[in-house]
Amino acid sequence: MSLPGGGSHPAPWQRLSPRMLLVHPVHEVLRQLPLVIGSLFLGSATGNPWLVALALALTITVGVLRWFVTSYRIASDEVQLRTGVLQRKVLSLARNRIRSVSTDARLLHRMLGLAVLRVSTGQEARGDSEFTLDAVAADQVPRLRAVLLADSLGAPERPGPPGRVLARWHPGWLRYSLLSVTGLAMIGAAAGIAYQAGATAALRNSPLAQSGVDIAQRFGAAATAAAAGAVVLAASVVLSVLRSLVTYGNLLLRRDAELLHLEHGLLRLRENTFDMRRLRGGTLREPLVVRALGGARLDAVMTGVTGIGESSLLLPPCPAGTAHAVLADLTAKSDAATGPLRGHGPAAARRRWTRALAVPAVLALVGVIVEPPVWLWAVWSGLTLCCGLLAADRSRSLGHRVSAGWLITRSGSLERRRDCIAGAGIVGWTVRQSWPQRRAGVATLIAATAAGVKQYRVVDVPEELAWSVAAAASPWVAHNRWARRSTR
Amino acid sequence: MFEQTRQANRERSPADLRDARPMDESPAADITLVDPAYPPSRKAPLVWAIGAAIPFLMLVPAQLAWISLDRQAGWLHASAAVLTLLGIVAFVVVAPLWRYRVHRWEISLAPGAPAVYVRSGWITQERRIAPISRVQTVDTYRGPLDRLFGLADVTVTTASSAGAVRIVALDSEVADRVVAQLTDIAAIGAEDAT
Repeated sequence: MSLPGGGSHPAPWQRLSPRMLLVHPVHEVLRQLPLVIGSLFLGSATGNPWLVALALALTITVGVLRWFVTSYRIASDEVQLRTGVLQRKVLSLARNRIRSVSTDARLLHRMLGLAVLRVSTGQEARGDSEFTLDAVAADQVPRLRAVLLADSLGAPERPGPPGRVLARWHPGWLRYSLLSVTGLAMIGAAAGIAYQAGATAALRNSPLAQSGVDIAQRFGAAATAAAAGAVVLAASVVLSVLRSLVTYGNLLLRRDAELLHLEHGLLRLRENTFDMRRLRGGTLREPLVVRALGGARLDAVMTGVTGIGESSLLLPPCPAGTAHAVLADLTAKSDAATGPLRGHGPAAARRRWTRALAVPAVLALVGVIVEPPVWLWAVWSGLTLCCGLLAADRSRSLGHRVSAGWLITRSGSLERRRDCIAGAGIVGWTVRQSWPQRRAGVATLIAATAAGVKQYRVVDVPEELAWSVAAAASPWVAHNRWARRSTR
Repeated sequence: MFEQTRQANRERSPADLRDARPMDESPAADITLVDPAYPPSRKAPLVWAIGAAIPFLMLVPAQLAWISLDRQAGWLHASAAVLTLLGIVAFVVVAPLWRYRVHRWEISLAPGAPAVYVRSGWITQERRIAPISRVQTVDTYRGPLDRLFGLADVTVTTASSAGAVRIVALDSEVADRVVAQLTDIAAIGAEDAT
């Protein structure tokens, strides 16, 4: 197949990999599972077993049809995707708007040597408007990626020298998921689904429930509850660690000159290529439980990549040193991750304390009125202590620094984050003050950028400093009509 | 009612990042920004008040009907009435006047660093500035009330969803002039954009 060079001759429409003829029906059946199960019930209830066969045949036909009706083409200036069995749809993307190309291969895809290719323009694209080639042969991916990114990146036609490896997964990284709540969330979700499906009703009179009641009677309710809790906790830890292993095992972050290449996943392999020239910084995220174990995670701040979730992830929880080194490498600034910050002063700290202690104070007031049992006061003291520690940590986190055109800002405790944003990528500034902030003499400075989560905040900076910080990061702020230099 | 003036995409070109001028470790001087000069239209408080009053015009009769139908629970009626009254005072009387005192806007076309600068809000106030060189689109919006009173909002968007600058409740002719000015200078910027 030749690449479209001249504009005179329209590029041919191409089909996805024929192997999708196997995958589509399976996915279609999975997607229409409720329908299939419904027909199963209906079939057995009415004594018409062919209903199931009909439903299955229908979904499989739709799945097969999907391959025949889906085609794409790469023209000189745009890429197009034609889809839809009943509703025909053509999705067009200008090639120079393409910002990133990622691939993703689930188990079935991998077994067949396929990969889903996702083209992103940086606009919010969800569901139908997403440009996804599901799927092409995995060996086609490097060529397609180069072709698709050629216009926007000027990616080299010839493969450059193999890049430097910035980070490689290590089994030790698993320890950061020990305290993760993902396992608990998974158990909760499973329990929720079971409950929805009416498992509790089925369980009520089952032998399993009966034996549970017997055990509870023999060992006492408290011991049984404790044991059950321990089992759930252990399961949660195992699940968290397993999930982390499956998702991030064999993670590799590589930098080839101007391209950043991330791949990870043991079962479902995901690859993401970022253009370094669209990098506007990085966010070091240190959730409390990860921080306590000396870890951190790293997100990319890029134009054309959503700032939250999987798409901007560079490093999952990993040793802080690794995350710091990668951030320093990306920003070409050795102290981006570790350099000292300028604190936000007593007013900002007071606001943290007031907020954290508001709940215990209200509870104390209620307690004085209703006079609860003494042990509740012990709980209250514990809560107050935790709130105090939280306030102290939150105050300590607050800080910012501007140096060499980079804005660095840090805030939060349970979800502490340190954003490093390139001043050149900032397209606007906001100084926001709520009424309490005006009274306290602090302001929240918001840097607007086209990258990442679009807005990065310097929380509760002393109000007289706010514009100075903005001006230091974006020189144009200091050069406009309204700027006044004060001598203090 | 949207009129949109779109100009060439002005996302950062790759070179910009590398050309970022190194600055000193700390801000060289303490910089403050004086407020922008121009208030919104004189009719703005009236229009805001009417806009805020509309929901209450439905809420108050509903409450009266409730009181007349259900004569029990007097304290419930009283507290609801007080809440409504407080709402009316806050949103129909205080907010429009307060906002009129706070809202200011100005566009600087000075060659050094042309920018749009707006101050807005009432309880929570904000000042927002965006350089003209980063402006992507200039929209005007006229709602039904705005049209009745000859007002318009001008929204200046940038590449960031958090960076849009809104100049609200301008007299129509002022809004048109602002849009014309902004699109003019934006076109100039587009010419020498690299």
